[in-house]
Amino acid sequence: MLSVEGLTVRADAVELVREVSFDIAPGERVGLIGESGSGKSLTALSLMGLLPEGVRASGTARLGERELVGVPEGRLKDLRGREVSMVFQEPMTALNPLMRVGAQVAEVMTLHGRSRAEARARAVELLGRVRLPRPEQLARSYPHQLSGGQRQRVMLAIALANEPGLLICDEPTTALDVTVQKQMLELIAEVAPALLFITHDLAVVAAVCERVLVMYGGRVVESGPIREVFARPRHRYTEGLLAASKLTPRGTRLPTIKGSVPAAGRFPDGCVFRNRCPYASEKCQTEPALTGDGHAYACWHPAD
Amino acid sequence: MILYLLKRLAVLVASTAVAGVAVFAFMALLPGDPAEIALGVNATPEAVAALRERFGTDRPPLSQFADWFGGLIQGDFGTSYVTSSPIGPQIGDRLGVTAVLVLGGMVIALLIAVPAGTFAAVHHRNPLGVTISAASQVGIAIPAFLAGILLVFVFAVKAQALPSGGYVPIAEDPRAWLLGLLLPWLSLGLVQGAVLTRYVRSAVLDVMREDYLRTARAKGRGRMGALWRHGLRNASIPVVTVLGLQLATLLVGAVVVERVFVIPGLGDLLLNGVAGRDLLLVQGVVMVLVVAVLLINFVVDVTYAVLDPRLR
Repeated sequence: MLSVEGLTVRADAVELVREVSFDIAPGERVGLIGESGSGKSLTALSLMGLLPEGVRASGTARLGERELVGVPEGRLKDLRGREVSMVFQEPMTALNPLMRVGAQVAEVMTLHGRSRAEARARAVELLGRVRLPRPEQLARSYPHQLSGGQRQRVMLAIALANEPGLLICDEPTTALDVTVQKQMLELIAEVAPALLFITHDLAVVAAVCERVLVMYGGRVVESGPIREVFARPRHRYTEGLLAASKLTPRGTRLPTIKGSVPAAGRFPDGCVFRNRCPYASEKCQTEPALTGDGHAYACWHPAD
Repeated sequence: MILYLLKRLAVLVASTAVAGVAVFAFMALLPGDPAEIALGVNATPEAVAALRERFGTDRPPLSQFADWFGGLIQGDFGTSYVTSSPIGPQIGDRLGVTAVLVLGGMVIALLIAVPAGTFAAVHHRNPLGVTISAASQVGIAIPAFLAGILLVFVFAVKAQALPSGGYVPIAEDPRAWLLGLLLPWLSLGLVQGAVLTRYVRSAVLDVMREDYLRTARAKGRGRMGALWRHGLRNASIPVVTVLGLQLATLLVGAVVVERVFVIPGLGDLLLNGVAGRDLLLVQGVVMVLVVAVLLINFVVDVTYAVLDPRLR
């Protein structure tokens, strides 16, 4: 379905994402985790062709037969909202405050060739499908009349409207109440075709995804089936990340990864994690390759 | 929406009443007795007293105010102490001229500012966009009357293409009317357009950073398509605020431009009234200007509600 090869994202001379490669099979749900600044959002935005001004992607990304990277905007915008869709982090600001909700859902369908009447009817149907109550009435309301969770459902309805092959979700539940989060996650898992799910919340990935990619410093440092990666992390960064997320007994220190994520372009050469890694050695000055079948990692001193 | 309108309407009525009191009180406090002014320094006290009685200025201020304000509500501005002619029709004629002048200036300002501001925002990183910003900066620094004088110099004196001043009613000769108004419109519109360009630019820049524009692009719109469909209406909200303020400024600025171009508008009437010490006339014109500004604010408030469902 989706096949990404050597995706690199640059802002001028600074490399923000380096040589990222992964595949997503039809119907597969893949998580992309990492701290802020690890390059996960940029990876997603480059698949949508929505990188900010001055930021460029190279490499290849193919969705079925269609190229997503290095394609002129004119061709790319036909794919956006039809073949690939995205749900963003902030539901409160992602909808146009001056436009009725139903019209905003219908827009994505009229843009890709459906008639106005048909789009309108289907918009109501979609609002019902993302389990919004009384969809006919809700379609006529404005975004400020809805809660954050309801708005995120509207965003999901927009994303699903044209039955895209790939759904990208960028921290879709981070801004929501915990009680609403779970319902939203269940809904996403249920309706997503193929899914690329970005988050920094390990529990969320475990709940939604089958496979996970761990990013650090703009690179994928470990990837594999959720169970394996979470039960037996090999990269020292993944290991630290999992340790930091575990509940610890009262009175003990919270385990953390020492240091903090460097600014973009300030990561060390060789292994990007070596300045924070307790196992780093001379060897780590050379960049480790991502190796392994199924469960892969890029580390010279992997955990057992 | 209806409740909002009623509230705004109540504010309009209340502030008009307050403005009436303020204008009347201010004029009453000014030294100078209309009867004494009319009769000159050699008048006998009896003659002055008789005239006061005829004008009604011998009565207590409250009853004078009631008369004046009551008349205003019915469209009667009273009779001038100086010329003995009714004030209402004079103001009516002049108001029409000033309104045409100001609205024409505003239309030109908008025709300049909306495309130029939007362009400057979209191309804010390119030399051309920066040039527009810089040019609007220069425009802001030039006062309208100076722009007027420059325009007269270029188009009337040098090129001899347009009249340097004067006003022909539209009923008499539509072509002469239009030609006569072109330069005054331009001198108001160019300067206001320059100011407005900056506001349009910053409003569009703000909107371009909004998440919902990214959503629109994620749906499959291009950059310009997203801005057109989702951005401009959002950007117009802050611009409407500035537009209202500018209209009020233009109304006052028209006083000067009317002088430069010899246009018989409200400003001209006001200055004549002041020069002739025609107190009641000045009072009437000031009241009309105040009400016009209040009305503009009312229209701005209503426009907000039409644009933004969050206010309804």
